[in-house]
Amino acid sequence: MSLKKQDEMDHNAWLKNQDLTVIETAFLTTLIWLDKRLRIVDYLELLETMYYRANLQMPKSHTEQYDLDNKFWYWYPLYSLGSLSIVAYLVAAVSGALLGFYYAPSTAGAAAQGDPTAAYDSLVMIMTDVQFGYMLRSIHRWAAQFMVAAVFLHMLRVYFTGSYKEPREVNWILGIVLIGLTLLFGFSGYVLPWKQLSFWAAQIGVEMALATPLVGEWAAQLLFGGFTLGQATLVRMYILHVFVLPFVVTGLIALHVGIVWVQGIAEPH
Amino acid sequence: MTDDDTPMTDGGTDAEARTDGGPPATVPPDDETPTWSDRKERSQGLAQLTYQYFERSRREDEDLRAESTYVERDVLGFPTWPHETLRNLAITSFFVGIMLLVAALMPAHFGEPANPGATPAIILPDWYLYWSFGLLKLNPLNPELAVLGGDIVMSNELLGIVAHGVVFGVIGLVPFLNKGSARRPVEQPFWAAVGVTGVILAFTLAALAIQNFFPISLDLLITLTFVLPVLGGILTYAVLKTMREGYMYDLNRRYYMLRPPK
Repeated sequence: MSLKKQDEMDHNAWLKNQDLTVIETAFLTTLIWLDKRLRIVDYLELLETMYYRANLQMPKSHTEQYDLDNKFWYWYPLYSLGSLSIVAYLVAAVSGALLGFYYAPSTAGAAAQGDPTAAYDSLVMIMTDVQFGYMLRSIHRWAAQFMVAAVFLHMLRVYFTGSYKEPREVNWILGIVLIGLTLLFGFSGYVLPWKQLSFWAAQIGVEMALATPLVGEWAAQLLFGGFTLGQATLVRMYILHVFVLPFVVTGLIALHVGIVWVQGIAEPH
Repeated sequence: MTDDDTPMTDGGTDAEARTDGGPPATVPPDDETPTWSDRKERSQGLAQLTYQYFERSRREDEDLRAESTYVERDVLGFPTWPHETLRNLAITSFFVGIMLLVAALMPAHFGEPANPGATPAIILPDWYLYWSFGLLKLNPLNPELAVLGGDIVMSNELLGIVAHGVVFGVIGLVPFLNKGSARRPVEQPFWAAVGVTGVILAFTLAALAIQNFFPISLDLLITLTFVLPVLGGILTYAVLKTMREGYMYDLNRRYYMLRPPK
């Protein structure tokens, strides 16, 4: 017995004993090197656990357990509309962040009324000069359209299956708030290119705000930065679109889904 | 939990392997479980009331469970994870694919730069706000709302805003008006009819918003805006009432096996 301490876990010795190809040796050497420093094995264990969890036998669903026919599954897509609106929201968020790199919320640069402004020009730049920019804008816009459509259809599904009933009133109200905010999201995004339709849509917005009793003028100041449209309007719509609404809507979506999680999906019958 | 030889970490579910999640993994309260007031003395004000209520509600829960002859079901709803989530992932990938495809096939429209000096012939928001824009075009109705043929009560713009308030308010009130355990439209034709009325109203209001595209008089269009939804609602009600007879037998058989009437 030698005095030299035996290393049970001498991976290099173990490696030498194996009959391995060059590729296998290189792979194992790299893996051992990394694992000694980063303990990758721990994370692999985590991954493994997740794999086995995901592959466990599914709990029986309500419909399976009570033999409510397989008819329900024809309707299943309608039950994933809420999830689909979140997916569309995420796609819009990613493409929107990329668009934000190139967009300039400014009405500068118009020599006369009706000339292109900096905001308009930055959109032209995105659509003509930026690599993949045309597609990026198209994806962002369509993601928004899909989100609104999915949200509306989600609401109809919840209505016609009575899922808003007794313990779930709060989530129904929250859903109404979320639909309103989604529409506001769409509206503020519609204004940003500062094209003709954007401008006049915003004009209608200001008029609506001003017609509201008591809080109208204050709301017009807050949202549109005054009673006539201009630089202030554009920047406020921009901040609303890229800063305020994303935080608020993401938070409310989390709450909405959290409540669903706690209360369970309403049983389809 | 104490006399069992197998160690349990989940609050004592039975040893048999279960695939449905089993009973909740909490220790049911018994006589030795400290009550809320034992845990922390709350003797005054709102805190006292809160804790009293907690105790009451827990006792009520226990009593109801003890009295009930109802056999508890193992699954009360779909588990969100992993059941729902994994199923949804397949649909999600498909959906994102469709979205990218549509974005590639139908690129976004782009128009003229903003010109405060020139109002375009057609001002329109995106399609999803057509119903809202339609509500803003209800001004021909405004004189009829005036009391005793006097001056109009509110401006045309305010009428539009009030209409929005009414729409959102009605939708918000629905769960407080419609209660009970019925879920399917055939079970409650009235509420299904209300829903169909609302959907058709959204479409007719959208049509009102783009009134320039319809070669009929404005009066007729506004009349249709409100008459068509009501007709649709009545039709839905009639159809569902008729279907109900045939449906109910089968429905009842399954339904009341799950929810025995008290």
